[in-house]
Amino acid sequence: MIGPIVSSGIVSPAWDNVFAVLLGMGFGFALESSGFSSSRKIIGTFFGYDFVVVKVFFTAAIVSSLGLLYLSYLGLLDYSQLYIQPTFLASAIVGGIIMGIGFALGGFCPGTSLCAAAVGRIDGLVFFGGMFIGVFLFSESFPLFENIYYSGSMGAKKINSVFGISPELFTFFLVLMAIGMFYGAGWVQNKVKKIEY
Amino acid sequence: MVQDGFKTRSKKLNIKLQNMEKIYTLLSTLLVILALGLVILPNKNDPKETSPKLLLSSVTEKSRYLSVDQITHRIIENDPCLLLIDLRPASQFKIFALPGSMNIPADSILTSTNIEIFNHPGKDKVFYANSDLNAEMAWMICTRFSLKRIYVMKGGLNEWFNTIIETGMVSITASTTDLELLSFRNAARQYFTGTGQTIPVPAAGNPGEKVTVTRKASGAKSGGGC
Amino acid sequence: MKKIKFDGSQYLNPYLGGVILGTVLLLSFYISGRGLGASGAVKNSVAATVNAIAPKHVEASAYYSQFAGGDRQPMSNWLVYEVLGVLAGAFLSGIIFNRLKLKVEHSPKITSRRRLLFALLGGLIFGFGTQLARGCTSGAALSGMAVLSLGGYITMVAIFGTAFAAAWIFRKNWI
Repeated sequence: MIGPIVSSGIVSPAWDNVFAVLLGMGFGFALESSGFSSSRKIIGTFFGYDFVVVKVFFTAAIVSSLGLLYLSYLGLLDYSQLYIQPTFLASAIVGGIIMGIGFALGGFCPGTSLCAAAVGRIDGLVFFGGMFIGVFLFSESFPLFENIYYSGSMGAKKINSVFGISPELFTFFLVLMAIGMFYGAGWVQNKVKKIEY
Repeated sequence: MVQDGFKTRSKKLNIKLQNMEKIYTLLSTLLVILALGLVILPNKNDPKETSPKLLLSSVTEKSRYLSVDQITHRIIENDPCLLLIDLRPASQFKIFALPGSMNIPADSILTSTNIEIFNHPGKDKVFYANSDLNAEMAWMICTRFSLKRIYVMKGGLNEWFNTIIETGMVSITASTTDLELLSFRNAARQYFTGTGQTIPVPAAGNPGEKVTVTRKASGAKSGGGC
Repeated sequence: MKKIKFDGSQYLNPYLGGVILGTVLLLSFYISGRGLGASGAVKNSVAATVNAIAPKHVEASAYYSQFAGGDRQPMSNWLVYEVLGVLAGAFLSGIIFNRLKLKVEHSPKITSRRRLLFALLGGLIFGFGTQLARGCTSGAALSGMAVLSLGGYITMVAIFGTAFAAAWIFRKNWI
């Protein structure tokens, strides 16, 4: 079977939403069981007492990057069919900065706040609710930000092309960097004052 | 007694930690090897080949031909979906080439970068040379590699010159379509050469008829494209 | 490979969790050709709600009209179904690891109310940011990194970099 399965027509498109639910379940399970329903655990990365965010995030990134490249190499996946988000330089940076502030204030991101809400954490629910307001505010004031929103368009640009190397080589460096970060995280965690959370 | 219990427990914990360390080192090495493997493994970007039967049926049907008039039309319109590929040697390309065309000499068609160009999903790739010979050959090679949207400009540059730049006289008894074609070629000649030289269109048809350049409605998918 | 944490809760080894998450992400690309996400569902819900209340406004708006209005069905969207799955999956995990508990989790140095206030504020700001960056940590950053998207990496760096600084500024809320 050549992936992506749905777009290559092997399975009818109606199944796409069924798979969405199943994939979401896997997503939610993985997040919650790793501890992402606890905002204090998540924020631990920024204070050095719990680097679970770094470990889970980067492990997932290298597993999926390697996996996609291998699947493509083995002919099981048509890499060109994958959805690559278009890069809009200015809005990616500014939006990321704003999200960083929200992250530090609220201690969640959308996916983790859902997990928290699902296990009964009210702060997760409130965070998720706050997002609706934020999205609404943006949508209503869109004309103010329209310029930034569309500026710096680079199309579906890949990061390895910025450095002029192949995707495989970039992923190799990414793996090295991630492993370095994991060891570094363990080292910092041992040195930092223990917090009860 | 309690102290002994504590010592054995902390020893067990130490051993467990050491085992974890070993497992982590093992996993890390495995990961690095995997990543390295991807880098080292040779590029398997072989495009698949069409079967001979399919190839024969493609050869005998004529849908790969685009006339010089069609190409001229699209050049004037600045059709973004058109990719003209000039197969002549670079020296000839420098002297003159169709506007917007790119030069890939016929002997370098088979390099992988060029195959990638021919694989461009969003455009119609049209081969041309002085005559049909090289263009047909390039088309054959590309079709064998199952590349899509490959065309040949019938007659090549020779035909183009004879038709657009140096149109002959047309008799008064020519059909309306022929006269429209003549008007079109007149306009095209002016576009390309800037000369006011036109062959007068006989008054049998509509003399004041302008050549309408209609924008081809692009059946664009989300995100725009050809 | 389970570890006991201070609050008595059992969590998976983070690397195992990362592998599971990475595999789910991989499957998502293999099956549907796209990565996971979360903020997109919020965006669609907002658009659908506003459309139900004021359809003319939606059509006139340069932003809403991209995903709602007319005969568009923002709620019948892959992301919305996926989010439902996230809720279910997290709930399941909560059951298995016995973490279902209705509470407001906060540092002992601040009150519940303060925590909730900041959660609301944080969510608001974060929601605003997701629209600008066209995604969140799951959709833009994580899924973007999986396909080596430049925008994904940039957003990821921006989020974490800023969060480091901002968390330190607001550290009274956490430690």
